Amino acid sequence: MTVPPMISSVLVANRGEIAVRIIRTCREMGIRTVAVHSTADRDAAHTRLADERVHIGPAPARRSYLNPAAILAAAQHTGVEAVHPGYGFLSEDPDFAEICVDHGLIFVGPPAPVLADLGDKARAREIASKAGLPVLPGGGTAVEDVERARRTADDIGHPVIVKAAAGGGGRGMAVVDRPEDFSRVFEETRATARNLFGDPRLYVERFLPAARHIEVQVLVDAYGTGVHLGARDCSIQRRRQKLLEETPPPGLPADLIERMGAAALRAALAVGYEGAATYEFLVDEDGAFYFMEVNCRIQVEHPITEMVTGIDIVREQLAIASGRPLPESILRSAPRGVAIECRINTEDPVRGFLPTAGALTDFQAPGGPFVRVDTHAEPGMTVTADYDPLLAKIIVWGPDRETAIDRMGRALHETRVAGAGLSTTRDFLAEVLTDPCYRHAAHTTAFVDDRAHRRSE
Amino acid sequence: MTVPAAFQVPDSADVPGSSEEADPLERLLGAVRHHVEGLNGPGMPALRRLRVASGAVSVEIEWDPLQDVVPPVAEPVDAPDPLGEVSGLLTVRAPAVGTFYRAREPEAPPFVEVGDIVQANAQVGILETMKLMSALNAERAGRIIELPVPDGAPVEYDQVLAVMEPVGE
Repeated sequence: MTVPPMISSVLVANRGEIAVRIIRTCREMGIRTVAVHSTADRDAAHTRLADERVHIGPAPARRSYLNPAAILAAAQHTGVEAVHPGYGFLSEDPDFAEICVDHGLIFVGPPAPVLADLGDKARAREIASKAGLPVLPGGGTAVEDVERARRTADDIGHPVIVKAAAGGGGRGMAVVDRPEDFSRVFEETRATARNLFGDPRLYVERFLPAARHIEVQVLVDAYGTGVHLGARDCSIQRRRQKLLEETPPPGLPADLIERMGAAALRAALAVGYEGAATYEFLVDEDGAFYFMEVNCRIQVEHPITEMVTGIDIVREQLAIASGRPLPESILRSAPRGVAIECRINTEDPVRGFLPTAGALTDFQAPGGPFVRVDTHAEPGMTVTADYDPLLAKIIVWGPDRETAIDRMGRALHETRVAGAGLSTTRDFLAEVLTDPCYRHAAHTTAFVDDRAHRRSE
Repeated sequence: MTVPAAFQVPDSADVPGSSEEADPLERLLGAVRHHVEGLNGPGMPALRRLRVASGAVSVEIEWDPLQDVVPPVAEPVDAPDPLGEVSGLLTVRAPAVGTFYRAREPEAPPFVEVGDIVQANAQVGILETMKLMSALNAERAGRIIELPVPDGAPVEYDQVLAVMEPVGE
């Protein structure tokens, strides 16, 4: 087989650190890049790093980064071959993927029908279950009707979690501890789901209060050949938003990780996946794992996998989208050492991680051995409330966990970030690193909330 | 004033001029037309802009400001523009990414030429975004002093398409 040529030009339909990150790999590969930006991002780093830039709309995302017509028009005017959606925004919108293809563009992601199937979380759960992945007890189909859902909840036993079928990324879900709260929480979550996603359907699952959030990175090419690149532990999260991620998951037996990886890959192949995907699981105290959802895009925390495998996941996404088969070197990759990522968000941990906005007067990223920083931040930029509060990702590698944690501590210590009205997660993360529970890898998804409660008492 | 409104596609029976065998797109457009007619009725300010998104049907409508609200004037040229040094100029800017047309059709005369004096609301061009055409109007009366974008050229959001100096005030 002759290897198809690599995509030669890409429009990056995103902003912030992930746009910067994608443009960097494109530059290394000699791929021409087009950045799109809103009025608020007129001076943003990604617009300067790209070969061309197009102003697509005003600050509100709905009229810029979430506006398919504006992005498509920009792609046509600049004559690009492909669109890389990054994460968030339109990255998992099957309509957008389809419109791109209809206009002769390569969408760097899975085929639109696969996005549609896996984007419906209730359907994704069903598909995963059929592909042999264990799922938590619960309602396989999304229901709007509170009585049917309550019966499912009673059958499972409380606590349960109600989740929006159209949700994802930790939004549109709520835990119900007691049967008498079920109707109220269900109705509230249904209203939230309708507002956020325009789809009120919910499904019910058993809630595991003290589990680990473990996810598997998968790559599948257009010929049905795939590989899993190991697992990441993302248990350090508040309200299901991740703050610190680590690979390999500490304290988990290697054979469990391998079984999860193999199961995730099998499921991805069964659904006809193409590109990079993340299969998210919960792992309980007994080492049983349960499928949660699939993220059909590049993930925020992908760099830790890159650090231990040496694989540039964005490069592989572009190669797969070009129709190239996964090379042997990727299929036989073996991870080495430990990598950790800390998310520096412009949020105030003391006030329930409330987003803060303002001008960044000081920003100094850490450096030194085995430290990587993915960021769009620079002194003088303004952090607005229009977008995600992720300011920078600090990623470190170490030959073992102890070294990696100490190195992260050092990197956070070097990080300077300040601005009037701005708070960040930096100090909170530095405390996590010294917490004996985290040091001994005894942490679960309850870690951050437990500490927030303790603090407020 | 932008009022986003989401509409369900009503049963074909609710939509004048549609039929069971009509193409879904036709039905959708029929439904939109139907709703817009209702929204454009007596007592409502004049419609200014209509945007229809496919997929999960979304319709965005912009009305003219209500009478008791101070009418917006054409935006003064922003500082970053080279023209910004000259104060008091008016501009017509691209409301979206698209293709700018100076005339209704390829052979037709342009809506305006440099030197023309135009009334408020006079059309100065057309912006096409993904086959959706929208009229570009001068918000105030003025004399056209520059048309920096050639006919049929791609434009960015907020790009200056016409520069005017105010007249008659």
